[in-house]
Amino acid sequence: MLRIRNLKCFYGGIMAIKGVSLSVRSGEMVCLIGANGAGKSTLLAAVSGLLATWKGDIDFKERPLKGLDPPAIVARGISLVPEGRLIFPTLSVMDNLHLGAYTLCRRGRRSEADEILESVLALFPVLAERRHQAAGTLSGGEQQMLAIGRALMAKPVLLLLDEPSMGLAPMLVEKILAALVALREQGLTLLLVEQNARAALSIADRGYVFETGTIVLEGPAADLLDDVEVKRAYLGKDYAGFTEGRQ
Amino acid sequence: MPSAEFDDRAQRQLERLQSTLNRAFRSVPFHQERLRRNGIRPEQVESMADLALMPFMTRRHLAENYPYGLFAVPLRDIVRIHTAPGTTLNPSVSGYTAQDLRHWTAMVSESLAAAGVGEEDILQISLDPGLNDWGRDYKLGAEALGASVIPNSLLSLEKQLMVLRDYRTTTLITTPAYAVQLADHVNALSIDLNRLALKTLILVGEPVPPEVRRRLEDELQVVTWLHYGLSEVPGPALAYECPQHAGLHVHDEHFLIEIVEPDTGRPLPPGAEGELVLTSLTIRAMPLIRFRTGDRARRLEGPCDCGKSAERIAWLTGRTDNLMVLRGVKIDRGQVMAQIRAALGFEPDLYRIFVNTETHRSLLEVWIGVDDRIFSDEIKMLEKRMADIGRRLYESLGVPVTVRLKERDTFAGAGQ
Repeated sequence: MLRIRNLKCFYGGIMAIKGVSLSVRSGEMVCLIGANGAGKSTLLAAVSGLLATWKGDIDFKERPLKGLDPPAIVARGISLVPEGRLIFPTLSVMDNLHLGAYTLCRRGRRSEADEILESVLALFPVLAERRHQAAGTLSGGEQQMLAIGRALMAKPVLLLLDEPSMGLAPMLVEKILAALVALREQGLTLLLVEQNARAALSIADRGYVFETGTIVLEGPAADLLDDVEVKRAYLGKDYAGFTEGRQ
Repeated sequence: MPSAEFDDRAQRQLERLQSTLNRAFRSVPFHQERLRRNGIRPEQVESMADLALMPFMTRRHLAENYPYGLFAVPLRDIVRIHTAPGTTLNPSVSGYTAQDLRHWTAMVSESLAAAGVGEEDILQISLDPGLNDWGRDYKLGAEALGASVIPNSLLSLEKQLMVLRDYRTTTLITTPAYAVQLADHVNALSIDLNRLALKTLILVGEPVPPEVRRRLEDELQVVTWLHYGLSEVPGPALAYECPQHAGLHVHDEHFLIEIVEPDTGRPLPPGAEGELVLTSLTIRAMPLIRFRTGDRARRLEGPCDCGKSAERIAWLTGRTDNLMVLRGVKIDRGQVMAQIRAALGFEPDLYRIFVNTETHRSLLEVWIGVDDRIFSDEIKMLEKRMADIGRRLYESLGVPVTVRLKERDTFAGAGQ
C-alpha cells in the first residue's frame, strides 16, 4: 500500500533522513522505533505532505505522492495523528471531529461522515460522553482519542500516528493501543511512530529501527521485541555489568 | 511472475540490503575503512544495480580479520562461534546471533523439506571434519522438521555403511566424493540394495557432474538432491533443489546473488556464466557484502515449474580461483605449503600438492622431493617428519591427507 524508496529529507542543508526504504502492506500495522531525532517523525511529515523538501519515491496505492499538498494527500486516503495531538482546544469535541471530516463533506459525502462519526464514538465512548465539552478541558488520554477520532473522520485507508502514547499514564497507553488494534482488525492500515518501543512492537506486525536518519534493522515485530540489540538500545535492558568484560 | 509479487520481493530485498549496509558500516571498522577509502556511503546504494559500487569481500579478508574482526555485533550477542578450515594459516571464524541460528535452521529445514524430508525420515549426516559446522546446521534443520537425525560423527566407511543399513537410514547428507566412495563400497561388497532403506541422497560441498549423479542414482537406487553452501562462512543450503531438479533455488529472502566476470568483477547479465557473489540480507553477526565465492554459476531465468518464484542458479563445475576442493572443503596450495614449512622449518624445493581422486577415496596428496635437508639415514625419522606434516594438514583442513617422500627424478620440474 505504501512503498518508500530511498527517501532523503532535508531541513535546510541538513539531511535528516538519509536514504530510507520501507513499506506498509494493506492491513498491516507497522511501527518505526528509534531514539529522538532519528528521523521517524520526519518520515511521517514527508508522507503526509507537511514536509515538501524530500527526494526519493513515496508511492501510495502504486501512485506517487510527490508534489501533493496535505489536503490532496488526505483525499488520497492518508491521515496523520500528529505528535502532541494538536486539537483545537476551544472548540467542542464534536466540532473537532466534524473538522476532521472537512474534505469528506466538501465532496458531498456528509452521510458517510455521519456513519464514521458513529463508529468513532463507538470506538471511544468517552468522546460521546464529552461531546459538547471544550476539547482543551479533556484529559491527555481523551485528547489523544479525540486526535485519533478526528483523523479517522477523513475515512483514511492508511493512518499515520506520531507518538500516540507520549505523556500518557500506562493505563491510558493501553487503552490507546487497544483502540489501534481494534482499528487494524477493522481493516485499517497503520504506520506508527513510537518512542515506547516495547508497546509499539507488542501490537505491530512489523517494525523498522531508525538510527541517525537510516534504518539499521527491520523485521517481524515479535523478532525485534526479542532482539538483544533492540532490547539494549530501546527496551531499557541494562547489560553493562554482565557483558562488558567479554568484549 | 506476477509483477506485484516481484515488486514486493524487490522492495523487501532493497530494505534488507540497505539496513545490512547501514549496520555493517556502523559497526565493522573493516567495512567503514573500505567505504571511506573509496569515497562511498551506504546510502548511495539505491537499487540492486548500485550494489556494484561496493567493494568485494574475499577469503583473504576473513583471514586478515581473524578471529572477530568482521563481527557486526558485540561478542555478548553471539551465541555460537564456528571455526572452519580457512585458506590461510588462520581458520575462518564465523559467529551467529540467536536470530541468525533461527534463520539458518529455517533455511536448512526448507531446503530439506523440498527434498521431501519429514518426520518419517531417518537422516544420517556423513561429512569430513572440515565440514563439521555444516553437520551441526543440518542437524538443527532436520530436527526442526521432526526427522530422526544421526549426527555427523567420525566413522570409517564400513561403520557408516553399517549405520546406514542397520538404522534404516532413509536420507543421507554427504559430499559427492564420499557418496561415490560409498557406492563403490556397496558394489564391492555386493550389498543387496533391498537391505537399505536409503531413498534420498543430499549432495553438498561441490558441484556434481550429471554423469556422476546418474551413476549414484542407479547404483544406490536413490534420488539425489544438490545443495549449495559456503563452508568457511555460515553455512550450508543457501540454495537447494526442488522436485523439478531444474537448478537451485536461492534463499533470496536472506541472500542476494550476483554473477560477475571473474577477472574484472564486472556484473554479468542473466544467463551468463561467471563467479557467484553473495551478499547477506538478514545476517546479524557477520554480514557478507559482495563475497566472492570462487564458485562458478549461472543465473537461470524464468519461473520454476514448481511454482516458487525464488531466484535460481545452475552451479557449474570448476572454480574461478586456484583453490582445490576436496570433499567439499576448499584448500589453498599456499596454506598447505605454510603447514609444510611450519613442520619442516623450510620450504622444500620440489613438491606437488594435488587432490587425488584415483584411489578408492579422494584425498589430499602431498609429494615432497627428497633432498639433503630432509634426508635422514633413520627411516623412523623420515617417517616422523612426513607424519608430522600429515597431522598438521589433517588438523587444519579436516580431510584425509597422504604425504609421500619421492625421489627427485619423479618430478618433471619444481612445481606444485
